[in-house]
Amino acid sequence: MRVALFVTCLVDLFRPSVGFASIKLLEAAGCEVVVPEGQTCCGQPGYNSGDRASAQAVARRVLQDFAAYEYVVAPSGSCAGMIKTHYPELFKDDPAALEQALWLAKRTYELTDFLVNVAKAKAVSASFKGSVTYHDSCSGLRELGVQSQPRALLQAAGVPVKEMANAATCCGFGGTFAVKLGDISSAMAEKKCAGALATGADAIAGGDLGCLLSIEGRLRRRGDDKTKVIHVAELLAGPE
Amino acid sequence: MSDALRSGGQGNPRDRILERIRAATGKDAKSATQDLEAVQSRLREHPRGPRPPFNWPELVAQFRAQASALQSTVEVVENLADVPAAIAHYLEDLQLDRRAVSWPEFRGLDWRAAGLQVEQRTVRDGDLVGITGAYAGIAETGTLMLLSGPQTPAAMSLLPDTHIAILRTSRIVEGMEEAWNLLRNEHGKPPRAVNFVSGPSRSGDIEMQIVLGVHGPYRVHIVLVTQDAGTPRELINTDWWRQPART
Amino acid sequence: MARMSGVRADAVAKVPNFEEIRTAGAAIRDRVLSNLDAYLFQFEQAAQARGVIVHWAETGTDVNRIVRDIAQQNGVKKIIKSKSMLGEESSLNHYLQEAGLDVRETDLGEYILQISGETPSHIIAPAIHKSKEDVGELFERVHQMPRKHTIPEMCREARMMLRPHFLSADMGISGANFLIAETGSVVIVTNEGNGRMTTTMPRIHVAITGIEKVIPTLEDLSVLLRLLTRSATGQATSNYISMLTGVRGPNDSDGPEQMHVVIVDNHRTELLASDMREALRCIRCGACMNHCPVYEVIGGHTYGWVYPGPIGSVLTPSYVGLEKAGELPNASTLCGACAVVCPVKIPLPDLMRKLREKSFERKLRPASERLSMRLWGYVAARPKLYALATKLGARMLQWMGGEDKLIHKLPGGLKEWTNGRDMPAPSGKTFRELYAEKKAVGK
Repeated sequence: MRVALFVTCLVDLFRPSVGFASIKLLEAAGCEVVVPEGQTCCGQPGYNSGDRASAQAVARRVLQDFAAYEYVVAPSGSCAGMIKTHYPELFKDDPAALEQALWLAKRTYELTDFLVNVAKAKAVSASFKGSVTYHDSCSGLRELGVQSQPRALLQAAGVPVKEMANAATCCGFGGTFAVKLGDISSAMAEKKCAGALATGADAIAGGDLGCLLSIEGRLRRRGDDKTKVIHVAELLAGPE
Repeated sequence: MSDALRSGGQGNPRDRILERIRAATGKDAKSATQDLEAVQSRLREHPRGPRPPFNWPELVAQFRAQASALQSTVEVVENLADVPAAIAHYLEDLQLDRRAVSWPEFRGLDWRAAGLQVEQRTVRDGDLVGITGAYAGIAETGTLMLLSGPQTPAAMSLLPDTHIAILRTSRIVEGMEEAWNLLRNEHGKPPRAVNFVSGPSRSGDIEMQIVLGVHGPYRVHIVLVTQDAGTPRELINTDWWRQPART
Repeated sequence: MARMSGVRADAVAKVPNFEEIRTAGAAIRDRVLSNLDAYLFQFEQAAQARGVIVHWAETGTDVNRIVRDIAQQNGVKKIIKSKSMLGEESSLNHYLQEAGLDVRETDLGEYILQISGETPSHIIAPAIHKSKEDVGELFERVHQMPRKHTIPEMCREARMMLRPHFLSADMGISGANFLIAETGSVVIVTNEGNGRMTTTMPRIHVAITGIEKVIPTLEDLSVLLRLLTRSATGQATSNYISMLTGVRGPNDSDGPEQMHVVIVDNHRTELLASDMREALRCIRCGACMNHCPVYEVIGGHTYGWVYPGPIGSVLTPSYVGLEKAGELPNASTLCGACAVVCPVKIPLPDLMRKLREKSFERKLRPASERLSMRLWGYVAARPKLYALATKLGARMLQWMGGEDKLIHKLPGGLKEWTNGRDMPAPSGKTFRELYAEKKAVGK
């Protein structure tokens, strides 16, 4: 299987290790991984800010750069959800682009979803010792149905998951929301942290770096420097 | 096209609003007329929508279970003549007033023998116990269906602290849809008020704590009567739009 | 609101085909909206045939004037009201009181707000922001009765205070959860019984409702009720569902002698004509706000007008103008929880996004925001430029993170991030750089 990795802009900038972990996991599952060079961002910041023209300009590049691959995989439910569920809407008035968008949507997957349901990854292991609580990021959960997949992988790797009561509640990140309405965003992150810490887990894991940055940022601000916040790809791929 | 639909659109608020609606939904005079006919035919057909699976084994048991779940209390007697004693026990157990008002249809019952003083008159503020019948019971939710009318005043089930309803088990139907057909068949059109009552009045408006008895009754007691002729079941599913109405 | 979302989930779980019923509910509402003129016409005919006087109001001002005229023409002095969202839209209470009428809210939550001079913060539980102690103190002061300490005692006291008003009022004003085109009926769903009181005891009943509230048949009512009560309060049914059709008969001992229905546009036809028509499917259950993590943090009053939560973020800009309420659709993470629970499948996040696009196009967003989006769009569509920008950005952020690798204060347009949290700093090189290095080594 030839898989193009959609690195995502946040991973590129903030935590490259998530990208390398994704490559490792995909290769271990028997995929040939390609990282298309021209990629930047999926266009969601513009799309969700009402700047449709900018979003289209950015998304057109994605259509182009990822046209040639059997599968496109992103270590993010948010970016995969943007491509899969929103590109067709974004290009609804442009028949040629729409056709490309629908074709791309069909082939695009969130990482854990792809590993479980397409690559049928069997052997996963984790170097992480300790328990985690899993944050379901909104787009992955509600746009792509990502919920059991990361848990299945964690279970296969022998990582105990302690569920928090508010696992499926938004962490407050919301892309540009986090900088437009920072106080509300932080208050939501606080609720998420409280729910996660109540489980007593050693780490908070998730599939979207945006959420994780917000959660970790809130944890550190409230003085917790012990609870790890880790992307599920890093957790499953172990250290470099 | 009817006159009402044809209006010019300038004259009054009604016409202007309807005109704006037609513009918003892309209609011209011709399509508006066609659509009206389609709508009228749908109203005549009134097809049923999906509803939860009704796979309970027994209608009356389901009604009882649901009514109890909504904090109504339910007891069963065989005959209408057994009702006064049953109500007397209920009131005694809760140490409630033994005076009550009731719908006129219960005038013939021997209330006095049961130690109760039951008047058939208009309900007044301060009456503590109101006794009514019920048009039907809905098994799906344990709900009483009451129709207003000269013999069945609506306020009787509303003003008193305690509402006691006498319901014949033959009048318990599966869901609201069966009740609508019963109504269509037996009355043709709805009376001034159809009231569905599911347990005592309640509110969760302060700190989301459920409290019973806000503006309506504090308690609802249902006496089911098993041996009493009710409406033949075959009437329930016929349709009042296509049949001459009975009154 | 965790309790509210929990009870809904339990109630929905008991109905295996809830999704099928939800789809049917959305279809019923869509069918009505695409033939709204015909359904309203049918409703009007059926209602008039039962002696109902039907009024049409284009604006909130018209609503107020119509209701005042009905009151004045009939020598009304005292009015009791059960919940009417339209009345909130037009500030009806205030208007009627200015006209010298005695108006009493009777929904317990609305009553608490009326005597404390506040406005609702939730459409189903309007006084949800007030504690038991707040209410106890308020009742003691306003009722001049000994302080009550438990909620049942407070409810009993409110019942006692309101009962005489129910019995002496000349007019009852209610909203309508639904209008039935088939029968010309007004349907009111309540738990407290105030809706029944309001429509049974006074000699005049006025129901005020939006044009979109009409539904075809009694069967459709059954479908929508199953959705409404479960979504609103997790109940399989509400305590009282009253279907009111016309005035009292000559031999009836109760019921109003006059029944008026005021059908209100107030910007709804604009919404109907727009690409946001789906918002008019709303049956006002409140599930979207009960499940909204933003609402949970900021509360209902922050939304600034009658409808809070996600549906408010869509309706308010549509009704009062994007210029005045353009911030609302931006006050959402688009997490999608509202769309999942909406009983009539209103795509609330999509509608909020449409409003964001409209405000962006109409240049209603701050210039700095528009500029930064355009700049981002320009750079992100140019890979080489983007690579350079992120390379610099990663280093800058790393430097800002300092020794503990946490940024405590972000500048400019990003500063709100660090109001309540830190920003974990990147490691200094982008994935793109590291991947290129790795590949070079591999070769």
